[in-house]
Amino acid sequence: MNTCKVPASVVDTDGDNRWISIHNRFLSETREKDADVVFIGDSIIQALQHCEIWNELFAPLHCLNFGIHRDKIENVLWRIQNGELDNVKPKVIVLHVGTNNHRNKPEEIFEGILEIIHTIKEKQPDVYIVVPTLLPRGQHPNPIRDKLNKVNELLKEKLSSQPKVELIQIDNGFVLPDGTISHHDMHDYLLLTNSGCRKAFKPVYELLVQLLTEGEPEKDLTPSE
Amino acid sequence: MDALEAFKKEADMPGEVERKFGGLLEKKWTSVIRLQKKVMELESKLNEAEKEYIEGAPTRGKRSPSEWIPRPPEKFCLTGHRAPVTRVIFHPVFSVMVSASEDATLKVWDFETGEYERTLKGHTDSIQDICFDSTGKLLVSCSADMTIKLWEFQQTYDCIRTMLGHDHNVSSVAFMPGNDYVVSSSRDKTIKMWEVLTGYCIKTFVGHRDWIRMVRPSPDGSLLASCSHDQSIRIWAVSSKECRNELRAHEHVIECIAWAPDSSAGAIIEAVGVDNKKGAAMGPFLASGSRDKSIRIWDVGAGIALFTLIGHDNWVRGVVFHPGGKFLISASDDKTLRVWDLKNKRCMKTLEAHKHFCTSLDFHKSHPFVISGSVDQSVKVWECR
Repeated sequence: MNTCKVPASVVDTDGDNRWISIHNRFLSETREKDADVVFIGDSIIQALQHCEIWNELFAPLHCLNFGIHRDKIENVLWRIQNGELDNVKPKVIVLHVGTNNHRNKPEEIFEGILEIIHTIKEKQPDVYIVVPTLLPRGQHPNPIRDKLNKVNELLKEKLSSQPKVELIQIDNGFVLPDGTISHHDMHDYLLLTNSGCRKAFKPVYELLVQLLTEGEPEKDLTPSE
Repeated sequence: MDALEAFKKEADMPGEVERKFGGLLEKKWTSVIRLQKKVMELESKLNEAEKEYIEGAPTRGKRSPSEWIPRPPEKFCLTGHRAPVTRVIFHPVFSVMVSASEDATLKVWDFETGEYERTLKGHTDSIQDICFDSTGKLLVSCSADMTIKLWEFQQTYDCIRTMLGHDHNVSSVAFMPGNDYVVSSSRDKTIKMWEVLTGYCIKTFVGHRDWIRMVRPSPDGSLLASCSHDQSIRIWAVSSKECRNELRAHEHVIECIAWAPDSSAGAIIEAVGVDNKKGAAMGPFLASGSRDKSIRIWDVGAGIALFTLIGHDNWVRGVVFHPGGKFLISASDDKTLRVWDLKNKRCMKTLEAHKHFCTSLDFHKSHPFVISGSVDQSVKVWECR
């Protein structure tokens, strides 16, 4: 059975209940804040809001960030089914999850992501869903990287047929010619540094601006005098 | 054919050149325009800086109350709130101001010395709006905790009354002229009127189809104006609770409104132009700021939109008329404050005010000061010249 498609909350092995506390905080944020863009997913999304470009580029777009460290597909699925998208009306949702499902097969990860997309569409039929590709991880080539590459290939192959779903490649330029990933891009060979973040998410920002300003009149750029 | 293959091999050209470079030209093309726009922006900024340097703003001695406008740099940057500042207002009598924050506290500051005076605690969630009565002896606040609180503002600074009745986040609150009643608006789509003396809700205004963002009584107290997520402004008769008019033109949520003082009628009528000279403009006038990035001026009597002020690059969060009547000042999520020349319908000054969204501003009725609050958790005091 594909565990990615079965919504699951995180078992509190530490005994401090942090995960459910974070989920509850997200719920209260949806009640108080109107966002045009919602980011939802794993540690890559969570870490994004602590990077320079979050304040510089994303915050002015009116964003909410619902990333939780170490979340798997089934956890994000659970969070969406338990209210995180019920009180908001965003124009765009950015979804990045899957890097922690490395025990699943690539096909299972892909189907899990697709399941989330379907769930989002049930809750928000008009929203654009932006899916950045999964980032490579580990300093040296490793089986997880290969697996995530396969997921990306599946995404490229099959997501294009989905209406209002935009796949965007962000994993380019991280694996150096010798097969390694630099700690200047990913300080722990998983999470992005400030410069790595800029490299990966600048294209996402440009796509968001394009989607958000869709239908607005073109600004007149000719000099006035 | 062979030659092509050989050439490809020689040039180290993989098969998918087309795919890789497709769209690159378009991208370059748009980036040229983008850069051109940036150059123009920088040039206009340089011009402005030069102008200010050469002509110079009036000196403190020469400034006049009807012409003074806030000028950078700020006089004070006050920090202390632990969450975004949602509203800033001046005290009507003393040289103090109050800021409200998502950290559920109110803070009192002296705007002439920049000193922190005290914190008022009692709310349990984000405070959304605050207002003084005309004597400055009472302060009213409203919060996402669904309550409205009255604060004694002379000696004790205690919360003297808590008013319950809204079923959702209370978004805005204001004293009615005369100070006997308070009006409030809420995400529960209603406006309520409360008696200050008893704390009872005596009227409920129903009609908006979505979250109401702000409610403000007209200067004579006979009308209420409210703006909402439903993209409309409604004008209500206080006495009959009846909705007199629904004003529509904004294309997004309307965040804020402000009634024009009598002193600005001249400038607004002049801005509308010659064809309106036959007394078509009736007044009273109202300004509104919206998430569609525009500010609109309305003739409430005639029920029409008069003109639009365009310039902000993000949501407009606060509008306030200059006490002299010639200008309108606005605060926006583009991090700036802007001064608009009403007569000429143009932005005459932009202040890069904060590091994050500007959420609120206020203009002192008699002293040369403007205050602004921001999501960057700071409050700034701007001196006018």
